[in-house]
Order: sequence, then structure tokens, then C-alpha cells
Amino acid sequence: MLKNKRILVAKPGLDGHDSGAKVIALALRDAGADVIYTGLRKTPDFIARIAIDEDVDAVGLSILSGSHVALLQQTRDSLREMGAEDMVIFVGGTIPPQDVETLKQGGAAAVFTSDMTIEDTIDEVASILK
Amino acid sequence: MNRRQIARGLTKILNASVDEILATSDEPITSNAVRIGITGAPGVGKSSTIARLAAYRAKPTKQLAVLAIDPSSPLSGGSLLGDRIRMGDLVENPDVYIRSLPSRSTNNGLCNNIPELINVLESHRLSEIILETVGVGQAEYAIRNQADIVILVMQPESGDTIQSMKAGVVEMADILLVNKDDLTGADKVCAELAEIAARGGRLEGWFPPVVRMCATNNKGIKSLSDAIDQTISWQAKHRDNELIAQQRRRYQLQSLLERRIDELLDEAAPGFLSTSLNEGFRAITARCLLEP
Repeated sequence: MLKNKRILVAKPGLDGHDSGAKVIALALRDAGADVIYTGLRKTPDFIARIAIDEDVDAVGLSILSGSHVALLQQTRDSLREMGAEDMVIFVGGTIPPQDVETLKQGGAAAVFTSDMTIEDTIDEVASILK
Repeated sequence: MNRRQIARGLTKILNASVDEILATSDEPITSNAVRIGITGAPGVGKSSTIARLAAYRAKPTKQLAVLAIDPSSPLSGGSLLGDRIRMGDLVENPDVYIRSLPSRSTNNGLCNNIPELINVLESHRLSEIILETVGVGQAEYAIRNQADIVILVMQPESGDTIQSMKAGVVEMADILLVNKDDLTGADKVCAELAEIAARGGRLEGWFPPVVRMCATNNKGIKSLSDAIDQTISWQAKHRDNELIAQQRRRYQLQSLLERRIDELLDEAAPGFLSTSLNEGFRAITARCLLEP
């Protein structure tokens, strides 16, 4: 489903929990994608640099800290500075319902919350990257 | 370096079919880039060693690239590429380019189209190319064809492993590196390796140095880098470059042929595998001859 797609799974900011990011990374791999994982507590600039070097088709930001709006904006700014303003960005994590629209207006191609199934998440990634 | 251009060039080649590879130019690229291969069992510290080595050797006048290969899942075809986790400090280094690569259908420690991927980096005038293999066992030593210098990374308390590796990957190394040398057993393993090294390496007349290192605190990085420089200068005087070029071409040809046969087997009609072994073999080789 995601054959030959390269996806960066990244943990920006200060929250120290990555089970969610790892579950998604494994599910993307099982759907055929090549997944690059950054490890915990990375800056938006660091994530953007990796996205460029790895020539990924999408960046998935996993955020549980509550700073999702600011971190999405900063990641987009860093990508724009590096000439990749068109990069597809997904956001996932503990996102309050009222923030989903804000994130989409802020440039998130999709927002994944903890009440969604893995299958639906992967299907949506696949339909956006098709 | 133009990172985006390098990155996109690599993606195009990574995904190229056999026909697409054959359609690209194989004009030899004049490049003096030194190819350093890093191999060893899973968990010995290949990625951590590369993180230290690249930081130590890269300069504005000597930019380098790292290609880090991890296995593709034989079930889904996907991969989880985790070498980056140990290379965090390199991300902001303007003189180092890092790319994670999935092994795809290649299972010799390297990945599909590796000779052509290296050519992409050479055409961007990088001075050194570090290749990290998949974590390997005893017999995956295809790296010897693609790298100028093969560094085998080991750790203490792997004495029995070394015994069993004597006839395989150990013989292919130009430098034997003992990482995590703060662990007990480091002296013993170094002594065993020195014994193996005294019999000589894969190139006649070269005796692989045994280097001790601890990648977590960077102890021994100078010895490793010096050993690489010594190997480079020795090879410049003693190596048969014509022979190396032929071995590389042979690997390239063989990898493409194997993938073509894979493609033909995939395309073969259902029921094909129920024919006799002889018939099947003849049918596939005949199809090979029909290909343009």
C-alpha cells in the first residue's frame, strides 16, 4: 500500500513518550513504507534537516505535550527555509478536538488522534501519499 | 553541497528497476572518493562508531556522506530505518550528508543498486563515502567489493563468535575494530584478533591493524582515523586498481542479472513452478535471452 514511500516519524519538543510514535512507525512499515525514526526530544530544525537529507514523502509529528500548534508552525517554517515548503506533514498525538481544525489550517495534511484505529490512520496516510 | 539534489538523485536510483538502471549512463565517474565500509554483527556499535568517525574526519574541504543500510521486511517490503538515532550529533554538521537505505531484495548486507547509489555521491564530489552494512553474521561480505577499506566492528566477550567468523567476514577486513573496549574481555579479544591479523588480510602484504575504541566516550577515535589513513596510503602503493574495477563491475552485473531473474520468476505464469526443474530452468534462461 505504501511501497517505496519514505516517511519520517519524528518527536518534536519535550515530551518523553514514544510508544505511540513507535506503534505508528511499525504499522507504516507493515504497510510497506520505509520509515525513518528520529528518537525523542528533537527540535523542528533538526527534524527538517533530516527530512531534506532523507528525501521523505511525508513527515509525521507525534506530539503529546500540548504544544502541537506551535511545533507544527516551527517545523513548517524550518522546512520552508530549506526550500521544502511543499512537504506533507501529519500530526498525531493527544490533540483536543477543538485544535484539529487549527492544525489543518496551519498546514497539517491530516490529524490523527488516539481514538482512531491504526487501520484508518494508515488508510488516510496512503490516500494522501498516493 | 546541494543536499536536496543529492537526496533526490539517491531516491531515483534506489527505486530504479533493472531497465531503468541499464538506461542510465555508465560512463566511469572520475572520483577519488575513498569508500569506507563498516560491517559487523547487530549491536556492536557500527552506527555509533560512524557518528564519531564522520565528525572527526569531515571538514569544509573534505565533505563526506554516510549510507546506512537497514533490513527490509521480507513480509511487507517495508523497513524501519533506525541508524539515525545514534547519529544525532551529525545532523547539524554542514560537511556530512547522511542517508538511510532499506536493503530491499538484496540480502548480502548491502541494498539494491548500491554501485549506482555510490556513483550518485561520487558525481557530487564528496571526498569520502562511509557505507554501513546491515548487521551481519558470518558470511555477508559483499561489502568487500564496494568499499576500498572494510572495517569489521566487534565487541569484547564475542570470542566464540570470532572463532566461527575466522573463515568469513574476518578475512575480508582491512581494519579490525574492537568497540566497547571498557568491557571486560577486551584484552583477550584483541589478542585473538592480533593472531588472526598476523596471517595477513585480503590484499597480499597488508596486515590488518587491531584498533581499540569506545564510541560512547570517543576514546580511540584518533587511532581509528590514523589506521584508515595508513590503509589508504598503503593501498595507493600496492593495490591493483584494474582488478578492483573488474570485481566491482562483476558485482554490478551479477546483481542486475539476479534481479532480472527475480522479475522473470515473478512474471511467470501460474503453474510454471509445477513444471520439471529442467524445463523451468530452460524456460527462464530462454526468457533472459529474449530481453532487449
